[in-house]
Amino acid sequence: MDLAVYDLKLHKGRFIATIIGVGLLFTIVLAMNGLYRGNIYEGLAVIKATNPDLWVVERYRGGPFNEQSTLAEDYHHSVKAVPGVEKACPFIYYTVERLIGDQSRHFSIIGYDVFTGLGGPQRLISGRGLRQGHYEMVADQKLGVHLGDQVTLGLHHYTVVGLTRGAIDTNGDPLVFLSLPDAQEVAFQKDNEEVRTQRVRLARTLNGQKALTPAATANLAAALAPDTHLINAVLVHLKPGANQAAVAHNIRTWLYLSVYTTDEEVKLMLKGRLAGMTKQLFLFRTLLMIVSVVIISLVIYTFTMEKIRAIAVMKLIGAPNRVIVRLVLEQSMLLTISAFLFALGLINQTYSYFPKTILLVPGDEVITFIVVFFGGILASILGLLQALKTQPALALGGQ
Amino acid sequence: MEVLRIEGLSKVFGSGRLEVRALEDINLTVSAGDLVALLGPSGSGKTTMLLCASLILDPTAGKIIFDGQTIFQKNGWSGGVDIRRIRREKMGFIFQAHNLIPFLTARQNVLFPLSLVGLKGDASQRRVMELLGYMEIADRADYLPALLSGGEQQRVAIARALANNPRLILADEPTASLDTVRGKKVMELLKKIAKENQSAVIVVTHDVRMIEGFDYVYHLKDGHLHHQVN
Repeated sequence: MDLAVYDLKLHKGRFIATIIGVGLLFTIVLAMNGLYRGNIYEGLAVIKATNPDLWVVERYRGGPFNEQSTLAEDYHHSVKAVPGVEKACPFIYYTVERLIGDQSRHFSIIGYDVFTGLGGPQRLISGRGLRQGHYEMVADQKLGVHLGDQVTLGLHHYTVVGLTRGAIDTNGDPLVFLSLPDAQEVAFQKDNEEVRTQRVRLARTLNGQKALTPAATANLAAALAPDTHLINAVLVHLKPGANQAAVAHNIRTWLYLSVYTTDEEVKLMLKGRLAGMTKQLFLFRTLLMIVSVVIISLVIYTFTMEKIRAIAVMKLIGAPNRVIVRLVLEQSMLLTISAFLFALGLINQTYSYFPKTILLVPGDEVITFIVVFFGGILASILGLLQALKTQPALALGGQ
Repeated sequence: MEVLRIEGLSKVFGSGRLEVRALEDINLTVSAGDLVALLGPSGSGKTTMLLCASLILDPTAGKIIFDGQTIFQKNGWSGGVDIRRIRREKMGFIFQAHNLIPFLTARQNVLFPLSLVGLKGDASQRRVMELLGYMEIADRADYLPALLSGGEQQRVAIARALANNPRLILADEPTASLDTVRGKKVMELLKKIAKENQSAVIVVTHDVRMIEGFDYVYHLKDGHLHHQVN
């Protein structure tokens, strides 16, 4: 005789409300799991999608994602000359906030060598990659642009020739791919008025030099304009059979640069930029789990206390303890399982609406289920103890 | 045939200045088919005696023999008997407040003690409907207790108490929440059960109008069994 089900049938409205309440809590737990995974996924997405054999960055820098690294563009020629290197491609990456249409959007720009292709877009869902050296762009669909759209960045208009899916930066914002010179221009090219102002400021400084004529001063000020031929990293593709460690060692010692493999870049990201947020999310997850177990515990305790007299009657009639234990535990398990299924359904229907990436991993869901299931059983101990110590005399007026 | 024998039973609550002697040296013998009434004012120890007789409360002293088996002796010795098993197999309880399990229908309430002794399937369903029919409440079998009147609930409670053909039925103020007419009907029913089923029935009441036709009437006052009337 399934007493738990009969009891819940009588109080089905309240039971459903409780399932929804606890289920929403579990939904937050699952969302936190997804956010935790999504945070790691977003943080590593660019690194994994680019996936060169080596990342060459400014010496002593943990760039290009964890720390700013600035190299002269020419460096890729030097890297290319190292034995074992097949391709060495300049790479630039920076985050911008610009108007797309009439909306201000946050996104990251990657500039790469269109003709070697290393560092370019990976997951094209429509259109094509960059073919021209200028005025074309590939954007992630998350940016909200369409094929053929003209997007103004800096001084020029760029035509969207391709769209990607899942190409996101370390913050989960969409990526835009430009040719290296275009990306450099968008990043470093000053506004004309600002260029003029800088020249005037420089000329004023040079005017103090008696050795310079006014004409020479003007020429020098123009020539000393800020350099835009800068990159953040050089991406290296090795020749087949080349020794990765040896090539990295040679680049370090010959060119005085820092070199990381893709795995090392991943570790840098996990230990650096992602570490704090990952720990924070893990802590939230743990706290939410504890809160869920406490709430289930209180719900089951309340359910048990409401039928304490019925439990006393059962004991008086001679019901063994296992009948009482089954009643309480079954309700706890039904509540936990139903709430978890509700949460699982809800998060799977809604995860795509979250502003940050929610990455649902079946393994996480199984582990969460096991934790909440046993947490639910643990939570019912309070109600169970109360039920087991109930005296049958309570049925006759509380002796 | 002797069903219950109580010898020198005492029950003391608390100790020192707070000590309350609820029962003092109670002796009682009840045989199969006996209809016994325990009368007394509130606080006289009637319910305590019922609770001690069924070992829901442990007596302080004395000896209880049930169905030929010593289930309690002085100092708490009970001969290793499983008292809950005895209660579910050989005792039936009827309460003043009916005490039906609120989330079970009338049918399920009667089925519950049967399920505890392992009676399942058609046999148990037949037994339930037979009892509800006997109590003239079969048409309300699928109603929850909250939808039944007080009298109907009490009849379901009696059907539940009878489910396992108990050797002893203990009824605590079974008519207290009923009007006189319904109360008398319940008492008539208990008499009928005692005679037809050869069950021993002990009824606690403070209403002398309800005990007409009982075999034995005991008067309990301040924990002492004062009178015995045949």
